[in-house]
Amino acid sequence: MARMTFQQACVNAIATTMRIDNDVFIMGEDIGPFGGPLRSTAGLWEEFGEGGRVIDMPISEGTIVGAAVGAAMQGKRPIVDLMFLEFLGLTMQQFLDAGAMHYYSNGAIKIPLVVRAKYGIGPFPGHAYDFHSWLVSTPGVKVVAPSTPTAAYGLMLAAIRDNNPVLFLEHMGLYHAGREEIDLDAVKGMLLGKAAIRQEGTDVTIVASAMMVKRALKAANELEEQGISVEVVDLQTIVPMDEEVILESAQKTGRLVVATESIKTGNSGNDVVALVASERFDAMKAPIKCVNPPPIPVPFHRDLEKAYLPDADAIADAVRSIMA
Amino acid sequence: MTSAVSTATNDPKTARTREELLGIYKLMVFSRVLDRAVGEYDGHWHGCEGEEAIVAGAYFGLRPSDVLAPHYRGGPAAAYAKGADLYCLLAGLLGKHDGYFRGRHRVDICGPPELNLIGLYSGSLGPPLGYATGSALAMKLDQRDDVAVAVFGDGVSSRGDCHEAMNLASVQQLPVLFICQNNAYAISTELSAGVGGAIAERGAGYGMPGIAVDGNDVLAVYEAVQSAIERARAGQGPSLIEAVSYRVAGHFYSDQEDYRDPDIVERWRARDPIELFHTYLLANCIAPEPALQDFRQEIEAEVEMAMARAIAAAPPDPSNLDAHAVFAE
Repeated sequence: MARMTFQQACVNAIATTMRIDNDVFIMGEDIGPFGGPLRSTAGLWEEFGEGGRVIDMPISEGTIVGAAVGAAMQGKRPIVDLMFLEFLGLTMQQFLDAGAMHYYSNGAIKIPLVVRAKYGIGPFPGHAYDFHSWLVSTPGVKVVAPSTPTAAYGLMLAAIRDNNPVLFLEHMGLYHAGREEIDLDAVKGMLLGKAAIRQEGTDVTIVASAMMVKRALKAANELEEQGISVEVVDLQTIVPMDEEVILESAQKTGRLVVATESIKTGNSGNDVVALVASERFDAMKAPIKCVNPPPIPVPFHRDLEKAYLPDADAIADAVRSIMA
Repeated sequence: MTSAVSTATNDPKTARTREELLGIYKLMVFSRVLDRAVGEYDGHWHGCEGEEAIVAGAYFGLRPSDVLAPHYRGGPAAAYAKGADLYCLLAGLLGKHDGYFRGRHRVDICGPPELNLIGLYSGSLGPPLGYATGSALAMKLDQRDDVAVAVFGDGVSSRGDCHEAMNLASVQQLPVLFICQNNAYAISTELSAGVGGAIAERGAGYGMPGIAVDGNDVLAVYEAVQSAIERARAGQGPSLIEAVSYRVAGHFYSDQEDYRDPDIVERWRARDPIELFHTYLLANCIAPEPALQDFRQEIEAEVEMAMARAIAAAPPDPSNLDAHAVFAE
């Protein structure tokens, strides 16, 4: 057992793996003595720097990920700290190639790569927008979005163990937002591709990930008092999506709200809607609702930012609108 | 020729063995023969005619554990130089079940990774420079004395990938060679419209040796590459070599080429790198004319036979795309 923040959970999972596997190394901008943006690699330089496995990189995001892909082709298990998800666009070509390699090569190539990226509206100004949906239609790439320190620890272990390119999302609003007691042995078996039911309920299913899980749970509490029983499904892994858990929950409740932090057009949450609409249409008692920010870039001022991101009330409103 | 930091001589006067020289010659001839055989079959084939000195000079003699990210123009010859099976290569070029990649991917732009080849995994050029650089990083981490060789055209030299990879290789002092196969054309865009300044001179900017060599003189290319490989294996970091040639071939085999002056093409065709080396081998008594003719005929017969077999081979089975195989276990 250990008490850790989300950030500490990420770093500890990486350090734990680096201690037992010499092929694991991490590279990125300002991850050495500086300790990583938002302390994302704090302590790794001190422990592994001398061994050359914590590598500060020039500002060349595309080629940092490219170099990681090349190292993975030679049998290494690289982790890239991309700093912010805003830079994902600079790495899309490398993700596209890396995702294709295993299939094209009939299994000859494996790319065990984790690309960590911070994003999300939180205590820090800037770098907030959730761009992960850009990547989800790239074959062969996994996308992971933990919502708690425990999930961050377990899913980081799983992502490093995975033999595929993985985008690992680290929400800045969750990053230093309190410690959690983590059962280190229990999380060792966590797998990518599994959703978690954060709260069981019978009237409506809310599907969310990362920060929106927190807001969905808050909405669920509020709705509980009003006699509405809410089931909250935390995707945890966005690609590949845990279709079984989503469909089971939708079948049970007959109502679905999908809450995301990015705008509706081209949003990965739409895949949840499409899945349920195509596979459980007959079980649905009401239209499926989406809760998204408006289609604008994330505004700067705190008040505007707050107005931009759907809160627990917005999610609860969406639920009430289909309970009538 | 492009001005450069230093210039390799056309006659290196180094003691290369007969076996080495003939191996290089055979690879040049192989590239030409393969080129024509596939080009006649597929009008979209990106021919390499006139650039064989760069192909053979850069790709001959690498170790199995060395990593090679070749230019797509000459890629199949690079795969052959790394030990690819001729039939699997040709069947792969045609997308057949027996070929490398089993019809899932294009062998003309991507060699088999089992042989430590890095190709294009999408139609976008540039990223393989990063993959080769990352392979060199793995070599450094694992304290191997292997090298990575990344070959790119004058077109890709304008890509950000080129700058990023060379800068990173320099910062980390990685065992990687950057070889620019400068054939003066990026599809229809000529060098003067695509590249500002001399590519070889960029080496100085990145703190690595930068050298321009005559890309039609296979020994000039080979000597420059071998000395850069020696440096890299000895832990002395990356090098840049600009091999200056000309794309005698069209961008693809049936290119109408109405964007350039045919007289210039003919002038370069007269400096055919295979003929130049052929003359060198005869003049230096490395092999007599009949022996060189025999090599050529043997290669032609081999390619012809493998090509006929590849054309007759079964296509891949479209009934199972094996979608779950997109992820590794």
